[in-house]
Amino acid sequence: MQVKLKVRRYNPEAENPVAYQQEFTAEVEAYSSVLDALMYLREYVDDSLAVRCSCRGAICGSCGVRINGQATLACKTKVVSVAPHGETITVEPMGNMPVLKDLVTDMKPFWDKVRQVTPWLQPEGLEPEGEYVVPPESMTHLNGVMGCIMCGVCVSDCTALEVDSNFIGPAALAKAYRFAADPRDGESQERLRALNEYGGIWDCTRCMECVEVCPKGVAPMDRIMALREKAMAAGFTNTYGARHAEAFSDSVKEGGRLDETMLAIRTIGFFNVPKLLSMAPVALRALVHRKLPMPSPFHAPIPDVHQVQRIFGRLEKKL
Amino acid sequence: MADYDVLVVGAGLAGMRAALAAQERGAKVAVLSKVHPVRSHSNAAQGGINAALTDRGDDWQDHGYETVKGSDYLGDQDAIEVLAQEAGREIIALEHMGVIFSRGEDGRLGTRRFGGQQRARTFFVSDFTGQAMLHVMFEQVLRAGVEVLDEWFVTSLVVEEGRCAGVVAIELRTGKLHLLRAKAVIIATGGLGRVFEPSTNGLICTGDGMSLAYRAGVPLMDMEMVQYHPTTLKGNGLLMTEAARGEGAYLLNSKGERFMERYAPTMKELASRDVVSRAEQTEINEGRGVDGCVFLDCRHLGKKFILERLHQVYEEGKAFANVDITEQPIPIRPGMHYQMGGIKTDVDGRCWDMKKRWRGVPGLFAAGEAACVSLHGGNRLGANSLLDTVVFGRRAGHCAAEYASQEPLKTVSQARLAHEEERIHALLSRNSSGDSVAKIRLEMGQSMNEHLAVFRNQEGMETALRKVRELRQRYDRVGVRDRGRIFNMGLVFALELGAMLDCAEAITVGALERKESRGAHFRTDMPERDDEHWLKHVLVYHTLEGPPRIDTLPVTITRWQPQKRVY
Amino acid sequence: MKYAFFPGCVARGGTPELYMSTVQVCRGLGIELEEMVSASCTGAGVLQEKNRKLGDTLNARNFALAERIGLPIMTICSTCQGVMSQANKRLREDAGYLAEINEVLAEEGLEYKGTTEVKHLLWILLEDVGVEALKRHVVRSIKGLRIAPFYGCYMLRPSDALGFGERPERQHALETLIALVGAEVVDFPGKSRCCGFPILTINERNSLRMVAKHTGEAKDLGADAMVTPCPLCHLNLDGFQPKAAKQRPTGIDLPILHLPQMLGLAMGMDTEALGLKRNIVSPKKALEKAGVQM
Repeated sequence: MQVKLKVRRYNPEAENPVAYQQEFTAEVEAYSSVLDALMYLREYVDDSLAVRCSCRGAICGSCGVRINGQATLACKTKVVSVAPHGETITVEPMGNMPVLKDLVTDMKPFWDKVRQVTPWLQPEGLEPEGEYVVPPESMTHLNGVMGCIMCGVCVSDCTALEVDSNFIGPAALAKAYRFAADPRDGESQERLRALNEYGGIWDCTRCMECVEVCPKGVAPMDRIMALREKAMAAGFTNTYGARHAEAFSDSVKEGGRLDETMLAIRTIGFFNVPKLLSMAPVALRALVHRKLPMPSPFHAPIPDVHQVQRIFGRLEKKL
Repeated sequence: MADYDVLVVGAGLAGMRAALAAQERGAKVAVLSKVHPVRSHSNAAQGGINAALTDRGDDWQDHGYETVKGSDYLGDQDAIEVLAQEAGREIIALEHMGVIFSRGEDGRLGTRRFGGQQRARTFFVSDFTGQAMLHVMFEQVLRAGVEVLDEWFVTSLVVEEGRCAGVVAIELRTGKLHLLRAKAVIIATGGLGRVFEPSTNGLICTGDGMSLAYRAGVPLMDMEMVQYHPTTLKGNGLLMTEAARGEGAYLLNSKGERFMERYAPTMKELASRDVVSRAEQTEINEGRGVDGCVFLDCRHLGKKFILERLHQVYEEGKAFANVDITEQPIPIRPGMHYQMGGIKTDVDGRCWDMKKRWRGVPGLFAAGEAACVSLHGGNRLGANSLLDTVVFGRRAGHCAAEYASQEPLKTVSQARLAHEEERIHALLSRNSSGDSVAKIRLEMGQSMNEHLAVFRNQEGMETALRKVRELRQRYDRVGVRDRGRIFNMGLVFALELGAMLDCAEAITVGALERKESRGAHFRTDMPERDDEHWLKHVLVYHTLEGPPRIDTLPVTITRWQPQKRVY
Repeated sequence: MKYAFFPGCVARGGTPELYMSTVQVCRGLGIELEEMVSASCTGAGVLQEKNRKLGDTLNARNFALAERIGLPIMTICSTCQGVMSQANKRLREDAGYLAEINEVLAEEGLEYKGTTEVKHLLWILLEDVGVEALKRHVVRSIKGLRIAPFYGCYMLRPSDALGFGERPERQHALETLIALVGAEVVDFPGKSRCCGFPILTINERNSLRMVAKHTGEAKDLGADAMVTPCPLCHLNLDGFQPKAAKQRPTGIDLPILHLPQMLGLAMGMDTEALGLKRNIVSPKKALEKAGVQM
């Protein structure tokens, strides 16, 4: 069968190196992947079409691209699943990283971030003679995150990285979790401290793009949330992020609902006057537009709030 | 020009293990690969890694014996003893590095069963053991600060005064050619799966390192021994791990019979791979298959168990065959998977013989699938390849560092670089003959898969050899359309095809040479093993003019005398 | 057509105009609402960061309250919808987990059987009211207006919790509705991204960059306004737009409409009743383009 593709091309050696779209038709089988289609183009139409690839089975992590606007592995995406009625498939390089040629991106920033989380096991004390004896489920638990193939797909579509290249990003943070949750690692306190810093776990916006696009079910955002929980449990509570989580929880517990004005004030801190003042123009505008009730610690609770409070009482893990 | 004590070509498990070992011994090391290290094909090893841990009642001699038997007595027993004896310590070292091996209830390392072995001695991480090991090995490379030259492609080895003196390589990102001098070079470039079509191997498995060593003067040994894995997917030939059978899955024919009971009454589905693949092909040939396939049935293992221990093949089945293996048997067939043969080395990875029984190149080392020590002989046992990479990667790394500490850097004339520049330039400026690299590759792959598969015969192998030689002539006229320098993958593909054609010829002449059936080399016209004449290795040397030169070497036998092989 | 109305905290707090316009539009369309006054916050994913089970129990309580009166829940917030959908999926797929949570609810005299449907107003409009019926209510064409959609993360992700399998058209529901009210859709890549609200108090700089990026992008593509089904997105894209606009030399000035505000306009409703004066970035100029005075 035939499939139509629109591929984003970029040749850095061209006289006028600008990206452009090129349309192709490829000959593929019903079971073929988008990678198979790209291979067909490279092998029989234009061998200058640059794309990384190797295993064809979603294991090596080479062929991350954007297909119809969303990052994914070309080898894992079946042609018929994205173009069931012969639609044109758009293929572009991954986002949030520089493009070197056609679909090949520069992964250096990606690997620099990975390097940043001290990505190797740092056991405490002397190694045992045999293996480390650890609960079996602690290793099985790590299967999910160890399944990460470092393809960069999550980084491509990360909404936080889009506005801040300092953010460590979902892949590297998932990698960090792999060590923070490894009972053999002796440095989790230090790891969590470092991850609490600017660019770390609190800069994730919880947009779930990484969970959605990850081809291996690693769910990087869930790992970041788990790191937040670990960081708070380890006593790193003096961050905007930790205070935000705490204030949110308190607000729901007290009134059954969220009081967003108090949430902001508590997160920023009652005594953080400069930061509060910087928020003041926004608050003032809101007041003028009759949007916000006056900030008040006496936000009206919902009826039956005692039910909510009892549920909290039973299930809340106190930090 | 950059200078190293030890330069490792290939950054899979064997390459990175070698680089770490050499650096540990104080050598200045770089590891170079045409892809980023974690893209290497070691990733694809699914089921596990063998080791007899003596502290829990296993015996390395049992592991050794089963490896010898699996090899159909073609493996060199001195090398197999090293493999089996050092396995335990290597597993513990991997665990200490951070590999998340599966545990038993007691929190200690757990095992699963694998083919060709009576005892469960395969350590594993679900069914992505290779990936879990490869990524941890890369972590160790980062920790140790080993220099990594990723996305560099070696075009030739530099040999000065009969010794290896470095490599010439293209930096793919710029297209620039570099001369890298090294006192020792270790080839760890993996296998050659793309010589066959289909294959379980990744697109990068093109036998580059084998061809480099071959052209530099090192013989390729036992190249006729090509493993067909019993369980590969129908459409694209992807691997379904042997661990599925290790954990209890059945093989069924079209009548729903567990046909392995007839071929291997004791071991059944867990007989050695050559035996199972032949049995499957027999079933298919005799009309008890469906669409050229038989079935792998995992249903009785239960969904929870499958999701935990066979997660990857579960996903693979869904994504690539549209089959939920927890609910349906999945169609599979034998498919090209592994090259037992390769660059001839000794037990320390040297590609030359201290006793001068065979000719090689001092200063050159090899490890992993690219090498042939020989551990696997006529048939490799499942889960011995990962073990091979770490044990012999480490040994090669140590030996290369030691060798380098006693060798001066050799002067290499810039003419070497200029010569390679010219060769590449000629290839890039050649006008296309209308032929294409891809067409030649496909015709080669299909011919090899037709004539050098599970069943072979004289006529078929001769046909394949004629085809390979005809394709070589066409290859010498083929052009590359991309005239650029940066990421010129068309150029790389063309260079890879040259390597593949070398390998295809070596496989075919080796197979024609061996006039018996042994391990994976099964000739329907000579179906018996012939220890009297063929208990020996076949060596293929490259010659500048004319066909390859063939030689043989006796098999090293230490403690296990050849016997009839029954599973 | 009757729903257990779950307005969510923000519609009852910082965006009263969303509450007002929802009530207006539903009345106009004959959608009967019974407000869940005793319902608690969904946890918004924040509570779940610390304690997923606690979050799921609070949601199970809300579902149980709706189940008791036999009504599906209507939300008007992407975040509420997403968080509730995820919780509902977990509870429905794992009977053991549901039983565990019901143990806690039992002490409050409640039980969740797993039957409550949770539906955003956006989906209700297209699926329950229906395109044809909606068309009949569109009395004031706002042709000439170019409107950019902005979904809010949890209306799109995780896709497996949001019923896209059976209803793939939900992924384009906003565009469908914009076209239905006669406006022109301004498609832009930012429509499915994060508005920045969740990190507003944590990393304000990044949050404002997101506001500037998305609103600026839409503006550059010629949008007169943006519409969102999420009050959290609205708080940030609208409330913080003046501050974010300082990043762009040309400013931004893109009014952000709540979903029912847009629909209400097309239904000919009074701008006062739709609370349009409460929007921080005034939609006055944009509305004039469609011939609507405010």
